Amino acid sequence: MLGDIITPDLFASALRMATPLALAAIGGTICERAGVVNIALEGIMLTGAFFGTAMVLLTGSPWLGVIAAVASGAGISAVHAFASINLRSNQVISGTAINLLALGLTGFLMELWYGHPGTTDPIKVLRPIFNFESPGGGAIAEAWRWFDSIVFSHTPIVYLTILIAIVAQVAIHRTKWGLRLRALGEHPRAVDTVGVSVYRGRWVAVLMSGALAGLAGANLTIEQVGSFTENMTNGRGFIALAANIFGRWTPVGSYLASLLFGFADALQIKLQILRGVVSIPPQLFLMLPYLLTVIVLAGVIGRAVAPAAVGEPYEKG
Amino acid sequence: MPVLELREVTKAFPGVLANDRVSFVLEKGEIVALLGENGAGKSTVMNVVYGLLSPDGGEVLMDGRPARIKSPRQAIDLGIGMVHQHFMLVEPLTVTENIVLGREPGRFGVIDFATARRRVEELSLRYGLKVDPDARIVDLPVGMQQRVEILKALYQGVRVLILDEPTAVLTPQEVRELFSVIRSLVDEGLSVVFITHKLEEVMAVADRIIVMRAGRVVGETTPEKTDDVGLARMMVGRDVVLRIEKTTKPTCRDTVLHVEGLRVPSDRGLEAVAGVTFSVCGGEIVAVAGVSGNGQTELVESIVGLRRPSAGTILLKGVDITRADARTSIEAGLSHIPEDRHRRGLILQFDLAENLVLGDHRVAPYAKGPLMRPGKVSAMAVTRIADYDIRTPSAGVIAGNLSGGNQQKLVVAREIGRNPELLVAAQPTRGLDVGAIEFVHRQILAARESGKAVLLVSLELEEVLLLADRVLVMYEGRIVKELSSGEADAETLGYYMTGGGGEKLNAQERQAPAHGGDA
Amino acid sequence: MNEKREQPVLVQRRWMVAAQKIGAPLISASLAVVVGSLIIWASGYDPRAAFIALFEGSFGSPKAIGDTLLKATPLILTGLAVAYGFRAGLFNIGAEGQLFLGGLAATWLGLSLAGLPWFLLIPLMLLASMLAGAAWAFVPAILKARIGAHEVITTMMFTYIGRYLVSYLVIGPLKAPGQIPQTAELPDAGQLSRIQALFSEATLASFEFLKLGRGHLGIVVAVLAAVLVWFVLKYTTLGYENRAVGFNPWASQTAGISVQWTTVKALCISGGLAGLAGSTEVMGVHHRLFDQFSSGFGFTGIAVALLAKNHPIGVIPAALLFGALAAGAGRMQFQADVPQKIVLIIQALVIFFVAAEEIVLWFIRRRQKEAVSHAG
Repeated sequence: MLGDIITPDLFASALRMATPLALAAIGGTICERAGVVNIALEGIMLTGAFFGTAMVLLTGSPWLGVIAAVASGAGISAVHAFASINLRSNQVISGTAINLLALGLTGFLMELWYGHPGTTDPIKVLRPIFNFESPGGGAIAEAWRWFDSIVFSHTPIVYLTILIAIVAQVAIHRTKWGLRLRALGEHPRAVDTVGVSVYRGRWVAVLMSGALAGLAGANLTIEQVGSFTENMTNGRGFIALAANIFGRWTPVGSYLASLLFGFADALQIKLQILRGVVSIPPQLFLMLPYLLTVIVLAGVIGRAVAPAAVGEPYEKG
Repeated sequence: MPVLELREVTKAFPGVLANDRVSFVLEKGEIVALLGENGAGKSTVMNVVYGLLSPDGGEVLMDGRPARIKSPRQAIDLGIGMVHQHFMLVEPLTVTENIVLGREPGRFGVIDFATARRRVEELSLRYGLKVDPDARIVDLPVGMQQRVEILKALYQGVRVLILDEPTAVLTPQEVRELFSVIRSLVDEGLSVVFITHKLEEVMAVADRIIVMRAGRVVGETTPEKTDDVGLARMMVGRDVVLRIEKTTKPTCRDTVLHVEGLRVPSDRGLEAVAGVTFSVCGGEIVAVAGVSGNGQTELVESIVGLRRPSAGTILLKGVDITRADARTSIEAGLSHIPEDRHRRGLILQFDLAENLVLGDHRVAPYAKGPLMRPGKVSAMAVTRIADYDIRTPSAGVIAGNLSGGNQQKLVVAREIGRNPELLVAAQPTRGLDVGAIEFVHRQILAARESGKAVLLVSLELEEVLLLADRVLVMYEGRIVKELSSGEADAETLGYYMTGGGGEKLNAQERQAPAHGGDA
Repeated sequence: MNEKREQPVLVQRRWMVAAQKIGAPLISASLAVVVGSLIIWASGYDPRAAFIALFEGSFGSPKAIGDTLLKATPLILTGLAVAYGFRAGLFNIGAEGQLFLGGLAATWLGLSLAGLPWFLLIPLMLLASMLAGAAWAFVPAILKARIGAHEVITTMMFTYIGRYLVSYLVIGPLKAPGQIPQTAELPDAGQLSRIQALFSEATLASFEFLKLGRGHLGIVVAVLAAVLVWFVLKYTTLGYENRAVGFNPWASQTAGISVQWTTVKALCISGGLAGLAGSTEVMGVHHRLFDQFSSGFGFTGIAVALLAKNHPIGVIPAALLFGALAAGAGRMQFQADVPQKIVLIIQALVIFFVAAEEIVLWFIRRRQKEAVSHAG
């Protein structure tokens, strides 16, 4: 039975499931490092998923869909940026409003454009980049099958995400942008008094997090599912927030934490498929990622330290 | 031509004229002290110069040219730097990262850390400001952090440096070092504005003294032409009462507070209080004197039940409250005027009555079972407001709308009005003006007269000398000396506060890493 | 800059404060409706027709008013839940999950104790739903109090877990015979009666306005709960400590209030109120439990609480507004063709405008305060 569960596909699936979480989590990392809480990741991801799908339906081009997803993610996060930076409203409340807005807007446009609620027509998706022949039998072939499945079976955004995690990690520690970002979330007035605009820095960070969460939405629809369903993000934005915390507000940490949650997701899917073998109701498996999130938060938070000024609106002067 | 000139700078806030036509000049290579008591408008006028506030009238001239400074960026570009009372340093970042922030060397957005580090080292060598460029701010003592602030300004190429109350957090040793740094800065051609309310510092370091009172410049002089008494009179506007006579001698009727072998950890897990033993009698004021950060805060927090000691005992009237929480301590007869009244003393969104009942809100007569008794609460509030002279139209006003002095009166009214066995007063007059300070002092003395035990923790030596019957000097978590009020004077206290009188060998060993600056 | 100086106390007349408190939310709600109309218009529909349909569907007839009351009932309770949490500085975003658990507990108890008379069964079911809601908030509460785990993430996760739990139970152990995944119907003694059922045919014939259709007695439970929460916040030590911790945990701690314990109590009480919304839905509307028995009442409760400025009595009109939107949405779609989802958008806009209007008021106050704090 264990052999049915532990297959190369399980790990490949974990990597796929981790991708939207990781993108949103890295977005959350950048945003919170700049001192802005982004509870809206969930809604932004949903927005990206919808507009990405809509663009593919309109043009037939998955890549244009990805661009639309990223742009719409950044676009709706601008609302969050304006509310929480310029208007200095409560960032958690602003984020909640975005989540509701995204839910309403995508549902509304769905009916307006496609005439029905629920799920869109299937779209053209992005295919895996590599497609290697598998050799015949034997131990080496088996090893290759594992390697191929885990490393070479993925769609572009899956690889892009790994790249983004590494680049963001380096950028945060080695670049001017990164230094200012780190300072912004800890002591924005210190940044202001050396003449660097706090508002601008935070705006850029919120827009980046929106773009990343939008990309996460694109991965969901244009690479994984192949269509849009209302409220399909299903709490992933919140799990991503937890992944960001578990990853101690670092991009690579966020990615690794997302891998854990992705694995839980892959496992529950696998177990659902094998329902005939293991007679446990699927709903209990569906709970797994959410339970794991609570357990991880319970275990980690006391020791992880958030940026000092996160959640606090900044007043000039 | 003066480097910096202020012409009739006026800044009004609704209801307050913070700066009323303030004018003065700063010459190149000069140290000007801006002297005045709390609320005189010193920081306001310098915040105008630094671009943090915009003036309602008047102008600021830099190198003889009118400068419209709207942001710190513009101030820095003009060559004006400011070291704030609260440091503008990012704690988890390194010294180098903090100094180059905003003007990082490097290409294509990538920081050239080697160059950055080298420039920091060059600057620190040139001005004799030794720091470790790779240390993280959070690991540095405050004196060292202040150096980083000064280096940051120098890195930005400032010619005028404003220091806002720079000595408030320093040990006397560090103050002397700061003064020599300031002198080396002016030797290099910089000009310095030094904001303070401490007379002796002005006399020690200033070339010229500008005295402010109630938003105006009321006088200008030099250390040669005046003395402490003259300056004090100028600053306050009348002769300062330097002693309040206590009418009774302290009589130890009974021991109210007894602390034995107390050890308390700090937030960072270090031992902040390292084995402290003392007692306070009823009808006695015992003051804990010391430089900020020598364990006083942790000592107070452990006594009032906000911090768990790691060893030792605390007895209040014989009852063990070592591990008691704040509620138990209050019920055992303890009152506490906290150090930070905004954070811990008051709920600014509550009205006066709700604030006055805070801590007594679940005991008779203000509560009966689960219910509050609003009638009793507001009757008490009306009495306290009258007794403690809190200036307010009614008990229903939100505490956040009171002035600072009235807010502190509110805290004092609650804590002394509760009629405690022991009053723990931590920095009870910080940030208050002279009138409010006198009021608080009188209330503390009145508590003593009525037989209460008072533990006073203060950074102000004057306050300690004025009120205390006995003084405990705290240094690095220990009580290094106990003095009676007769034995205590500023000089003796200062000596012990900086570790004097300890074992000679130890003191010398300690000095190198702690103050030598070559860490 | 902590230096302060004598400053004339800012006095606001009582009526001015009251006008500000009531007027500001009205402006927010109106702005949201205006922007909502713009969206309807920009989408090519007729906003006028839409709002006429919306009004007719929510207040146009006694039956429509009954529908509005029906929708407002759970919203009052979830609004109270969120508001009570906010008053302690906590954001219970997971009222939806607690509502599910409340509905579950009430149904289970109602089916198990089917023989009891109504005057025992109904209070027991209501109580059970509160306990279940509180229990569902308990783990997030403990995690928040002990290690500071953010309640927004944890209560949200518990919402998903709770939904899947109910989903599993109505497909599995609690499923009634038949094709549909739902429980058996509650006994009559476990149902909250419709309001119009209290009156005789003759009375209804002469007093048309009593024909409130599906409106049920849950509204009485909800209004009583609002009054009780108001009383608790204003007149009990529990409420005093709740508010104190919400405003300033450090000062509360200094004054001997246990911040941790207050946090746990606040989140559990909040969860209990949300749980109560679950039982009134089950007992008054559906009379049984199934997967989708709540249409996001827990989330709408956030908008209700914010619009009400977290005032327990204010929650009632705020819930009526959102109840009316929910009740009229169906007719709007049917009559003017506007997708019901517009209601969600309007909710989101209300939250935005409330937050933005907070800024305006806060800004006025800040300017006055700045006067004091900068005079150094």
